[in-house]
Amino acid sequence: MGMLYLGLLLGGIACMLLLDRRFSLFFWHDPAVALLVTAVGTALFLVWDLAGIAAGVFFRGEGVVASGIVLAPELPLEEPVFLIFLVLCTMVVFTGSARIFGAMRDRRSADGDAAIRRDANRRDPRRGDA
Amino acid sequence: MTYAVLAVSGVALALLGGAVLTGLAFRRDRSIVRGRHLLAVAVTALVLIALTAIFDNLMIGAGLFHYASEHLLGFSIGLAPIEDFSYPLAGALLLPALWAALQRGSAQRRRDCAQLVLSSRPISWVNTAFPFGAAYLLVTREIDWVFVVGVLYFLIPYNFAMYGINDVFDYASDLANPRKGGIEGALLAPRLHRPTLWIAALTNVPFLILLGTAGGPAAWLALALSAFAVVAYSAPRLRFKERPFLDSVTSSFHFVSPAIVGLLLAGGHINGALVLLLSAFFLWGMAAHAFGAVQDIGPDREAGIHSIATAIGARATTRLALLLWIAAGALMLFTPWPGPLAAIIVVPYVVNCAPFWFVTDANSARTNRAWRRFIALNFFAGFLTTLLLILEWNRV
Repeated sequence: MGMLYLGLLLGGIACMLLLDRRFSLFFWHDPAVALLVTAVGTALFLVWDLAGIAAGVFFRGEGVVASGIVLAPELPLEEPVFLIFLVLCTMVVFTGSARIFGAMRDRRSADGDAAIRRDANRRDPRRGDA
Repeated sequence: MTYAVLAVSGVALALLGGAVLTGLAFRRDRSIVRGRHLLAVAVTALVLIALTAIFDNLMIGAGLFHYASEHLLGFSIGLAPIEDFSYPLAGALLLPALWAALQRGSAQRRRDCAQLVLSSRPISWVNTAFPFGAAYLLVTREIDWVFVVGVLYFLIPYNFAMYGINDVFDYASDLANPRKGGIEGALLAPRLHRPTLWIAALTNVPFLILLGTAGGPAAWLALALSAFAVVAYSAPRLRFKERPFLDSVTSSFHFVSPAIVGLLLAGGHINGALVLLLSAFFLWGMAAHAFGAVQDIGPDREAGIHSIATAIGARATTRLALLLWIAAGALMLFTPWPGPLAAIIVVPYVVNCAPFWFVTDANSARTNRAWRRFIALNFFAGFLTTLLLILEWNRV
Protein backbone atom coordinates (compact mmCIF):
# COMPACT_ATOMS: atom_id res chain seq x y z
CA MET A 1 0.00 0.00 0.00
CA GLY A 2 2.86 2.34 0.91
CA MET A 3 3.89 2.89 -2.68
CA LEU A 4 0.38 3.30 -4.13
CA TYR A 5 0.34 7.11 -4.26
CA LEU A 6 3.88 7.31 -5.65
CA GLY A 7 3.03 4.61 -8.18
CA LEU A 8 -0.10 6.47 -9.30
CA LEU A 9 1.87 9.69 -9.68
CA LEU A 10 4.55 8.00 -11.77
CA GLY A 11 1.79 6.33 -13.81
CA GLY A 12 0.21 9.75 -14.35
CA ILE A 13 3.54 11.20 -15.46
CA ALA A 14 4.01 8.28 -17.85
CA CYS A 15 0.53 8.89 -19.35
CA MET A 16 1.28 12.60 -19.81
CA LEU A 17 4.54 11.75 -21.55
CA LEU A 18 2.74 9.27 -23.82
CA LEU A 19 0.26 11.99 -24.82
CA ASP A 20 3.19 14.36 -25.26
CA ARG A 21 4.97 11.87 -27.49
CA ARG A 22 1.92 10.92 -29.54
CA PHE A 23 1.14 14.55 -30.43
CA SER A 24 4.67 16.05 -30.13
CA LEU A 25 3.41 18.62 -27.65
CA PHE A 26 6.03 19.47 -25.04
CA PHE A 27 9.18 17.39 -24.53
CA TRP A 28 8.75 15.94 -27.99
CA HIS A 29 8.30 19.41 -29.43
CA ASP A 30 11.24 21.20 -27.83
CA PRO A 31 13.12 19.09 -25.27
CA ALA A 32 15.51 21.76 -24.03
CA VAL A 33 12.83 24.37 -23.35
CA ALA A 34 10.47 21.73 -21.92
CA LEU A 35 13.15 20.63 -19.48
CA LEU A 36 13.73 24.22 -18.42
CA VAL A 37 9.99 24.95 -17.97
CA THR A 38 9.59 21.74 -15.93
CA ALA A 39 12.59 22.54 -13.76
CA VAL A 40 11.58 26.17 -13.15
CA GLY A 41 7.92 25.27 -12.54
CA THR A 42 8.72 22.46 -10.12
CA ALA A 43 11.25 24.57 -8.24
CA LEU A 44 8.79 27.48 -7.84
CA PHE A 45 5.99 25.23 -6.61
CA LEU A 46 8.42 23.59 -4.22
CA VAL A 47 9.44 26.96 -2.77
CA TRP A 48 5.74 27.75 -2.40
CA ASP A 49 5.23 24.46 -0.53
CA LEU A 50 8.19 25.13 1.73
CA ALA A 51 6.84 28.59 2.50
CA GLY A 52 3.52 26.98 3.46
CA ILE A 53 5.27 24.42 5.63
CA ALA A 54 7.38 27.10 7.31
CA ALA A 55 4.21 29.15 7.97
CA GLY A 56 2.63 26.10 9.57
CA VAL A 57 -0.17 25.76 6.98
CA PHE A 58 0.56 22.31 5.48
CA PHE A 59 1.01 19.09 7.33
CA ARG A 60 1.94 15.71 5.99
CA GLY A 61 -0.83 13.20 6.56
CA GLU A 62 -0.34 9.67 7.81
CA GLY A 63 -2.16 8.20 4.82
CA VAL A 64 -1.56 4.49 4.32
CA VAL A 65 -1.10 4.96 0.55
CA ALA A 66 1.99 7.17 1.10
CA SER A 67 5.52 5.79 1.30
CA GLY A 68 6.25 7.60 4.56
CA ILE A 69 9.62 8.72 3.18
CA VAL A 70 10.24 12.32 4.18
CA LEU A 71 12.68 14.70 2.46
CA ALA A 72 12.34 17.54 4.94
CA PRO A 73 9.97 18.21 7.83
CA GLU A 74 6.39 17.74 6.52
CA LEU A 75 7.68 17.28 2.95
CA PRO A 76 7.09 13.73 1.72
CA LEU A 77 9.01 12.21 -1.19
CA GLU A 78 5.82 12.24 -3.23
CA GLU A 79 5.43 16.02 -3.18
CA PRO A 80 8.13 16.93 -5.76
CA VAL A 81 6.86 14.09 -7.95
CA PHE A 82 3.35 15.50 -7.69
CA LEU A 83 4.65 18.95 -8.62
CA ILE A 84 6.40 17.57 -11.70
CA PHE A 85 3.12 15.89 -12.62
CA LEU A 86 1.25 19.17 -12.13
CA VAL A 87 3.67 21.02 -14.42
CA LEU A 88 3.49 18.30 -17.08
CA CYS A 89 -0.29 18.21 -16.88
CA THR A 90 -0.49 22.01 -17.23
CA MET A 91 1.80 22.08 -20.24
CA VAL A 92 0.17 19.12 -22.01
CA VAL A 93 -3.28 20.68 -21.56
CA PHE A 94 -1.98 24.05 -22.74
CA THR A 95 -0.03 22.88 -25.78
CA GLY A 96 -2.80 20.41 -26.60
CA SER A 97 -5.57 23.00 -26.50
CA ALA A 98 -3.47 25.50 -28.46
CA ARG A 99 -3.04 22.78 -31.09
CA ILE A 100 -6.78 22.05 -31.17
CA PHE A 101 -7.69 25.75 -31.55
CA GLY A 102 -5.18 26.02 -34.36
CA ALA A 103 -6.67 23.04 -36.15
CA MET A 104 -10.23 24.38 -35.64
CA ARG A 105 -9.33 27.73 -37.19
CA ASP A 106 -7.67 26.04 -40.12
CA ARG A 107 -10.77 23.93 -40.72
CA ARG A 108 -13.07 26.98 -40.51
CA SER A 109 -11.04 28.86 -43.04
CA ALA A 110 -10.95 25.71 -45.13
CA ASP A 111 -14.75 25.53 -45.16
CA GLY A 112 -14.84 29.12 -46.42
CA ASP A 113 -12.98 28.52 -49.59
CA ALA A 114 -12.56 24.81 -49.95
CA ALA A 115 -11.83 25.07 -53.63
CA ILE A 116 -8.82 27.34 -53.14
CA ARG A 117 -7.53 25.11 -50.37
CA ARG A 118 -7.85 21.98 -52.46
CA ASP A 119 -5.92 23.76 -55.11
CA ALA A 120 -3.29 24.89 -52.61
CA ASN A 121 -3.02 21.40 -51.16
CA ARG A 122 -2.32 20.03 -54.57
CA ARG A 123 0.63 22.33 -54.89
CA ASP A 124 1.90 22.05 -51.32
CA PRO A 125 0.82 18.93 -49.48
CA ARG A 126 2.40 20.17 -46.25
CA ARG A 127 -0.10 23.00 -45.86
CA GLY A 128 -2.63 20.65 -44.30
CA ASP A 129 -0.85 20.39 -40.95
CA ALA A 130 0.27 23.98 -40.54
CA MET B 1 -5.83 33.27 7.06
CA THR B 2 -2.10 32.74 6.39
CA TYR B 3 -2.78 30.33 3.52
CA ALA B 4 -4.88 32.98 1.75
CA VAL B 5 -1.97 35.42 1.91
CA LEU B 6 0.35 32.76 0.54
CA ALA B 7 -2.10 31.82 -2.23
CA VAL B 8 -2.79 35.42 -3.27
CA SER B 9 0.93 36.26 -3.36
CA GLY B 10 1.65 33.15 -5.41
CA VAL B 11 -1.06 33.93 -7.96
CA ALA B 12 -0.07 37.60 -8.07
CA LEU B 13 3.56 36.75 -8.76
CA ALA B 14 2.52 34.23 -11.41
CA LEU B 15 0.21 36.80 -13.00
CA LEU B 16 2.96 39.41 -13.06
CA GLY B 17 5.60 37.00 -14.40
CA GLY B 18 3.12 35.56 -16.89
CA ALA B 19 2.14 39.00 -18.19
CA VAL B 20 5.75 40.09 -18.67
CA LEU B 21 6.75 36.85 -20.37
CA THR B 22 3.64 36.77 -22.57
CA GLY B 23 4.28 40.37 -23.65
CA LEU B 24 7.85 39.44 -24.48
CA ALA B 25 6.74 36.39 -26.45
CA PHE B 26 4.09 38.36 -28.39
CA ARG B 27 6.59 41.06 -29.31
CA ARG B 28 9.35 38.72 -30.36
CA ASP B 29 7.32 36.05 -32.07
CA ARG B 30 4.89 37.36 -34.70
CA SER B 31 3.70 33.86 -35.50
CA ILE B 32 1.85 33.49 -32.17
CA VAL B 33 -1.88 34.04 -32.69
CA ARG B 34 -2.60 36.15 -29.60
CA GLY B 35 -6.28 35.32 -29.17
CA ARG B 36 -5.63 31.65 -29.56
CA HIS B 37 -2.79 31.73 -27.04
CA LEU B 38 -4.89 33.51 -24.39
CA LEU B 39 -7.85 31.21 -25.04
CA ALA B 40 -5.59 28.19 -24.54
CA VAL B 41 -4.33 29.68 -21.26
CA ALA B 42 -7.94 30.18 -20.09
CA VAL B 43 -8.88 26.62 -21.05
CA THR B 44 -5.80 25.29 -19.26
CA ALA B 45 -6.73 27.17 -16.10
CA LEU B 46 -10.32 25.86 -16.22
CA VAL B 47 -9.33 22.26 -16.93
CA LEU B 48 -6.73 22.24 -14.16
CA ILE B 49 -9.08 23.84 -11.66
CA ALA B 50 -11.67 21.17 -12.47
CA LEU B 51 -9.05 18.41 -12.11
CA THR B 52 -7.88 19.94 -8.84
CA ALA B 53 -11.45 19.91 -7.50
CA ILE B 54 -11.58 16.17 -8.14
CA PHE B 55 -8.09 15.05 -7.19
CA ASP B 56 -7.51 17.38 -4.27
CA ASN B 57 -10.60 15.86 -2.67
CA LEU B 58 -9.29 12.36 -3.32
CA MET B 59 -5.85 13.20 -1.94
CA ILE B 60 -7.17 14.87 1.20
CA GLY B 61 -9.66 12.03 1.59
CA ALA B 62 -6.80 9.51 1.40
CA GLY B 63 -5.10 11.33 4.27
CA LEU B 64 -2.05 12.40 2.29
CA PHE B 65 -1.96 15.85 3.85
CA HIS B 66 -3.97 18.21 5.97
CA TYR B 67 -4.05 21.86 6.96
CA ALA B 68 -3.87 23.93 10.06
CA SER B 69 -7.51 25.02 10.09
CA GLU B 70 -6.77 28.31 11.84
CA HIS B 71 -4.79 29.35 8.74
CA LEU B 72 -7.65 28.68 6.29
CA LEU B 73 -10.34 31.07 5.06
CA GLY B 74 -12.93 28.40 5.60
CA PHE B 75 -14.42 28.17 2.12
CA SER B 76 -13.94 24.80 0.50
CA ILE B 77 -15.11 22.67 -2.39
CA GLY B 78 -15.79 19.34 -0.79
CA LEU B 79 -12.69 18.77 1.30
CA ALA B 80 -10.47 21.03 -0.82
CA PRO B 81 -9.89 24.47 0.68
CA ILE B 82 -10.47 27.24 -1.84
CA GLU B 83 -6.84 28.40 -1.42
CA ASP B 84 -5.61 25.15 -2.98
CA PHE B 85 -6.88 26.34 -6.35
CA SER B 86 -4.11 28.94 -6.40
CA TYR B 87 -1.63 26.23 -7.51
CA PRO B 88 -3.30 25.27 -10.82
CA LEU B 89 -4.23 28.89 -11.48
CA ALA B 90 -0.65 30.11 -10.97
CA GLY B 91 0.67 27.23 -13.08
CA ALA B 92 -1.64 28.11 -15.97
CA LEU B 93 -0.71 31.80 -15.75
CA LEU B 94 3.04 31.35 -15.60
CA LEU B 95 4.14 28.12 -17.30
CA PRO B 96 2.63 28.61 -20.80
CA ALA B 97 4.03 32.17 -20.77
CA LEU B 98 7.50 30.85 -19.92
CA TRP B 99 7.17 28.25 -22.65
CA ALA B 100 6.09 30.82 -25.25
CA ALA B 101 8.85 33.25 -24.28
CA LEU B 102 11.57 30.61 -24.50
CA GLN B 103 10.21 28.91 -27.60
CA ARG B 104 11.45 31.62 -29.85
CA GLY B 105 15.07 31.15 -28.82
CA SER B 106 17.13 31.25 -31.96
CA ALA B 107 17.80 27.87 -33.49
CA GLN B 108 21.46 28.50 -32.73
CA ARG B 109 20.84 28.89 -29.00
CA ARG B 110 18.73 25.77 -28.97
CA ARG B 111 21.51 23.81 -30.67
CA ASP B 112 24.02 25.17 -28.15
CA CYS B 113 21.90 23.95 -25.23
CA ALA B 114 21.57 20.55 -26.84
CA GLN B 115 25.34 20.41 -27.32
CA LEU B 116 26.00 21.30 -23.69
CA VAL B 117 23.66 18.56 -22.50
CA LEU B 118 25.09 16.08 -24.99
CA SER B 119 28.58 16.90 -23.77
CA SER B 120 27.72 15.55 -20.31
CA ARG B 121 26.88 12.10 -21.80
CA PRO B 122 23.31 11.74 -20.44
CA ILE B 123 23.46 8.03 -21.23
CA SER B 124 26.21 7.66 -18.63
CA TRP B 125 24.71 9.86 -15.90
CA VAL B 126 23.43 6.86 -14.00
CA ASN B 127 26.92 5.31 -13.83
CA THR B 128 28.02 7.78 -11.16
CA ALA B 129 24.69 8.35 -9.40
CA PHE B 130 24.14 4.63 -8.90
CA PRO B 131 27.33 3.86 -6.94
CA PHE B 132 26.63 6.78 -4.61
CA GLY B 133 22.95 5.92 -4.12
CA ALA B 134 23.56 2.20 -3.63
CA ALA B 135 26.40 2.72 -1.14
CA TYR B 136 24.51 5.35 0.83
CA LEU B 137 21.26 3.41 0.93
CA LEU B 138 22.86 0.14 2.00
CA VAL B 139 24.34 1.83 5.06
CA THR B 140 21.52 4.16 6.12
CA ARG B 141 18.59 2.09 4.82
CA GLU B 142 16.52 5.21 4.48
CA ILE B 143 16.05 8.00 2.00
CA ASP B 144 16.80 11.44 3.37
CA TRP B 145 17.94 14.76 1.98
CA VAL B 146 21.61 13.69 1.76
CA PHE B 147 20.58 10.77 -0.44
CA VAL B 148 18.49 12.98 -2.72
CA VAL B 149 21.10 15.76 -2.96
CA GLY B 150 23.94 13.27 -3.45
CA VAL B 151 22.16 11.29 -6.16
CA LEU B 152 21.24 14.53 -7.94
CA TYR B 153 24.83 15.75 -7.66
CA PHE B 154 26.40 12.58 -9.03
CA LEU B 155 23.64 12.30 -11.65
CA ILE B 156 24.04 15.67 -13.37
CA PRO B 157 26.51 18.35 -12.09
CA TYR B 158 29.30 15.82 -11.54
CA ASN B 159 28.98 14.54 -15.11
CA PHE B 160 28.71 18.08 -16.46
CA ALA B 161 32.07 18.81 -14.85
CA MET B 162 33.73 15.52 -15.71
CA TYR B 163 32.80 15.36 -19.38
CA GLY B 164 32.49 19.10 -19.96
CA ILE B 165 36.04 19.86 -18.79
CA ASN B 166 37.19 16.89 -20.83
CA ASP B 167 35.47 18.07 -24.01
CA VAL B 168 36.85 21.59 -23.65
CA PHE B 169 40.48 20.56 -23.30
CA ASP B 170 40.28 17.64 -25.72
CA TYR B 171 38.94 19.74 -28.54
CA ALA B 172 42.03 19.10 -30.68
CA SER B 173 41.85 15.32 -30.56
CA ASP B 174 38.08 15.24 -30.75
CA LEU B 175 38.26 17.26 -33.94
CA ALA B 176 40.29 14.45 -35.48
CA ASN B 177 37.91 11.77 -34.18
CA PRO B 178 34.85 10.84 -36.26
CA ARG B 179 33.35 9.10 -33.20
CA LYS B 180 32.46 12.35 -31.41
CA GLY B 181 29.09 14.01 -31.80
CA GLY B 182 26.81 11.16 -30.67
CA ILE B 183 26.15 9.30 -27.44
CA GLU B 184 29.89 9.16 -26.91
CA GLY B 185 30.14 12.92 -26.54
CA ALA B 186 29.63 16.18 -28.33
CA LEU B 187 32.20 18.01 -30.34
CA LEU B 188 32.03 21.20 -28.33
CA ALA B 189 32.32 24.39 -30.37
CA PRO B 190 35.11 26.65 -29.02
CA ARG B 191 32.47 29.36 -28.42
CA LEU B 192 30.93 27.08 -25.77
CA HIS B 193 34.14 26.29 -23.94
CA ARG B 194 33.96 29.15 -21.45
CA PRO B 195 30.24 28.63 -20.63
CA THR B 196 30.89 24.91 -20.17
CA LEU B 197 33.54 25.55 -17.55
CA TRP B 198 31.32 28.11 -15.82
CA ILE B 199 28.36 25.75 -15.73
CA ALA B 200 30.61 23.03 -14.32
CA ALA B 201 31.88 25.29 -11.53
CA LEU B 202 28.53 26.89 -10.68
CA THR B 203 26.65 23.60 -10.55
CA ASN B 204 29.31 21.67 -8.63
CA VAL B 205 30.51 23.97 -5.89
CA PRO B 206 27.15 24.49 -4.09
CA PHE B 207 26.46 20.74 -4.12
CA LEU B 208 29.93 19.96 -2.78
CA ILE B 209 29.51 22.45 0.06
CA LEU B 210 26.01 21.18 0.86
CA LEU B 211 27.15 17.54 0.89
CA GLY B 212 30.19 18.51 2.95
CA THR B 213 27.93 19.79 5.74
CA ALA B 214 26.48 16.28 6.07
CA GLY B 215 29.76 14.54 6.84
CA GLY B 216 33.01 14.71 8.75
CA PRO B 217 36.66 15.12 7.69
CA ALA B 218 36.77 11.67 6.02
CA ALA B 219 33.82 12.59 3.80
CA TRP B 220 35.37 15.98 3.03
CA LEU B 221 38.57 14.27 1.95
CA ALA B 222 36.64 11.87 -0.28
CA LEU B 223 34.61 14.70 -1.82
CA ALA B 224 37.75 16.76 -2.39
CA LEU B 225 39.63 13.85 -3.98
CA SER B 226 36.63 13.04 -6.14
CA ALA B 227 36.36 16.63 -7.39
CA PHE B 228 40.14 16.86 -7.82
CA ALA B 229 40.16 13.71 -9.97
CA VAL B 230 37.41 15.16 -12.15
CA VAL B 231 39.43 18.31 -12.79
CA ALA B 232 42.88 16.72 -12.89
CA TYR B 233 41.84 14.20 -15.52
CA SER B 234 41.70 16.75 -18.33
CA ALA B 235 42.67 20.20 -17.05
CA PRO B 236 45.86 21.69 -18.53
CA ARG B 237 49.18 20.90 -16.88
CA LEU B 238 47.72 18.11 -14.69
CA ARG B 239 46.32 16.17 -17.65
CA PHE B 240 46.18 12.81 -15.86
CA LYS B 241 44.48 11.41 -18.94
CA GLU B 242 47.69 11.91 -20.86
CA ARG B 243 49.80 10.01 -18.36
CA PRO B 244 49.66 6.33 -19.25
CA PHE B 245 48.28 4.15 -16.42
CA LEU B 246 47.43 7.17 -14.26
CA ASP B 247 44.74 7.80 -16.91
CA SER B 248 43.01 4.48 -16.23
CA VAL B 249 43.41 4.84 -12.47
CA THR B 250 41.88 8.33 -12.46
CA SER B 251 39.07 7.36 -14.80
CA SER B 252 38.16 4.41 -12.60
CA PHE B 253 38.27 6.62 -9.51
CA HIS B 254 35.62 8.80 -11.18
CA PHE B 255 33.18 5.91 -10.77
CA VAL B 256 34.44 4.44 -7.49
CA SER B 257 34.70 7.75 -5.61
CA PRO B 258 30.91 8.38 -5.60
CA ALA B 259 30.53 5.04 -3.78
CA ILE B 260 33.24 5.99 -1.27
CA VAL B 261 31.61 9.39 -0.71
CA GLY B 262 28.26 7.65 -0.24
CA LEU B 263 29.68 5.23 2.32
CA LEU B 264 31.40 7.96 4.30
CA LEU B 265 28.44 10.37 4.24
CA ALA B 266 26.23 7.54 5.43
CA GLY B 267 28.63 6.95 8.33
CA GLY B 268 29.56 3.44 7.21
CA HIS B 269 32.70 1.69 8.44
CA ILE B 270 35.08 0.54 5.75
CA ASN B 271 35.98 -3.09 6.53
CA GLY B 272 37.84 -5.85 4.69
CA ALA B 273 34.84 -6.97 2.66
CA LEU B 274 34.16 -3.41 1.52
CA VAL B 275 37.80 -2.91 0.52
CA LEU B 276 37.58 -6.09 -1.61
CA LEU B 277 34.35 -4.91 -3.22
CA LEU B 278 35.69 -1.42 -3.93
CA SER B 279 38.93 -2.88 -5.30
CA ALA B 280 36.96 -5.12 -7.65
CA PHE B 281 34.94 -2.12 -8.79
CA PHE B 282 38.19 -0.21 -9.23
CA LEU B 283 39.77 -2.90 -11.42
CA TRP B 284 36.56 -3.12 -13.42
CA GLY B 285 36.71 0.65 -14.02
CA MET B 286 40.37 0.52 -15.05
CA ALA B 287 39.60 -2.23 -17.53
CA ALA B 288 36.73 -0.22 -18.94
CA HIS B 289 38.92 2.84 -19.42
CA ALA B 290 41.85 0.96 -20.89
CA PHE B 291 39.69 -0.92 -23.36
CA GLY B 292 37.88 2.29 -24.29
CA ALA B 293 41.21 3.95 -25.07
CA VAL B 294 42.13 1.27 -27.62
CA GLN B 295 39.66 2.53 -30.22
CA ASP B 296 41.15 6.04 -30.03
CA ILE B 297 44.80 5.07 -30.58
CA GLY B 298 44.78 6.48 -34.13
CA PRO B 299 43.24 9.92 -33.46
CA ASP B 300 45.09 10.25 -30.13
CA ARG B 301 48.48 9.62 -31.72
CA GLU B 302 47.67 12.07 -34.50
CA ALA B 303 46.81 14.76 -31.96
CA GLY B 304 49.87 13.86 -29.87
CA ILE B 305 47.77 12.70 -26.91
CA HIS B 306 49.15 9.92 -24.76
CA SER B 307 47.07 7.22 -23.14
CA ILE B 308 47.58 3.78 -21.71
CA ALA B 309 46.74 2.44 -25.16
CA THR B 310 49.12 4.65 -27.15
CA ALA B 311 51.86 3.77 -24.65
CA ILE B 312 51.70 -0.02 -24.69
CA GLY B 313 49.78 -0.58 -27.92
CA ALA B 314 46.37 -1.98 -28.76
CA ARG B 315 47.11 -5.63 -28.18
CA ALA B 316 48.74 -5.26 -24.75
CA THR B 317 46.03 -2.83 -23.61
CA THR B 318 43.22 -5.16 -24.68
CA ARG B 319 44.85 -8.09 -22.91
CA LEU B 320 45.45 -6.00 -19.80
CA ALA B 321 41.79 -4.96 -19.78
CA LEU B 322 40.71 -8.59 -20.03
CA LEU B 323 42.96 -9.57 -17.15
CA LEU B 324 41.69 -6.67 -15.04
CA TRP B 325 38.09 -7.73 -15.64
CA ILE B 326 38.91 -11.31 -14.69
CA ALA B 327 40.77 -10.09 -11.60
CA ALA B 328 37.74 -7.99 -10.62
CA GLY B 329 35.53 -11.08 -10.86
CA ALA B 330 38.05 -13.12 -8.88
CA LEU B 331 38.17 -10.56 -6.07
CA MET B 332 34.40 -10.70 -5.75
CA LEU B 333 34.67 -14.44 -5.05
CA PHE B 334 36.34 -13.60 -1.74
CA THR B 335 33.64 -11.21 -0.51
CA PRO B 336 30.90 -12.40 1.88
CA TRP B 337 27.65 -13.78 0.46
CA PRO B 338 25.99 -12.66 -1.84
CA GLY B 339 29.13 -10.91 -3.15
CA PRO B 340 30.54 -13.95 -4.98
CA LEU B 341 27.45 -13.97 -7.20
CA ALA B 342 28.66 -10.64 -8.61
CA ALA B 343 31.67 -12.41 -10.16
CA ILE B 344 29.32 -13.49 -12.94
CA ILE B 345 28.85 -9.85 -13.99
CA VAL B 346 32.32 -9.75 -15.57
CA VAL B 347 31.54 -12.66 -17.91
CA PRO B 348 29.73 -10.58 -20.57
CA TYR B 349 32.57 -8.04 -20.51
CA VAL B 350 35.14 -10.77 -21.05
CA VAL B 351 33.08 -12.29 -23.87
CA ASN B 352 32.69 -8.84 -25.45
CA CYS B 353 36.38 -8.00 -25.29
CA ALA B 354 38.03 -11.41 -25.84
CA PRO B 355 37.59 -11.49 -29.66
CA PHE B 356 40.08 -8.62 -29.84
CA TRP B 357 42.90 -10.63 -28.19
CA PHE B 358 44.91 -10.29 -31.41
CA VAL B 359 43.93 -6.71 -32.27
CA THR B 360 46.66 -4.55 -33.83
CA ASP B 361 47.27 -0.82 -33.62
CA ALA B 362 46.28 -0.57 -37.28
CA ASN B 363 42.81 -2.08 -36.86
CA SER B 364 42.29 -0.86 -33.29
CA ALA B 365 39.43 1.42 -34.39
CA ARG B 366 37.40 -1.74 -34.90
CA THR B 367 37.12 -2.21 -31.14
CA ASN B 368 34.55 0.59 -31.28
CA ARG B 369 32.00 -2.12 -32.09
CA ALA B 370 32.70 -3.78 -28.75
CA TRP B 371 32.71 -0.36 -27.05
CA ARG B 372 29.20 0.36 -28.27
CA ARG B 373 28.05 -2.98 -26.90
CA PHE B 374 29.88 -2.08 -23.70
CA ILE B 375 27.54 0.88 -23.08
CA ALA B 376 24.57 -1.49 -23.27
CA LEU B 377 26.37 -4.07 -21.12
CA ASN B 378 26.73 -1.49 -18.36
CA PHE B 379 22.95 -1.26 -18.04
CA PHE B 380 22.74 -5.05 -17.84
CA ALA B 381 25.49 -5.10 -15.20
CA GLY B 382 23.67 -2.35 -13.32
CA PHE B 383 20.53 -4.48 -13.39
CA LEU B 384 22.35 -7.51 -11.99
CA THR B 385 24.04 -5.38 -9.35
CA THR B 386 20.65 -3.99 -8.33
CA LEU B 387 19.27 -7.52 -7.94
CA LEU B 388 22.24 -8.40 -5.74
CA LEU B 389 21.73 -5.28 -3.67
CA ILE B 390 18.09 -6.20 -3.12
CA LEU B 391 19.22 -9.68 -2.07
CA GLU B 392 21.71 -8.15 0.37
CA TRP B 393 19.07 -5.69 1.59
CA ASN B 394 16.62 -8.44 2.45
CA ARG B 395 19.28 -10.69 3.96
CA VAL B 396 20.28 -8.48 6.86
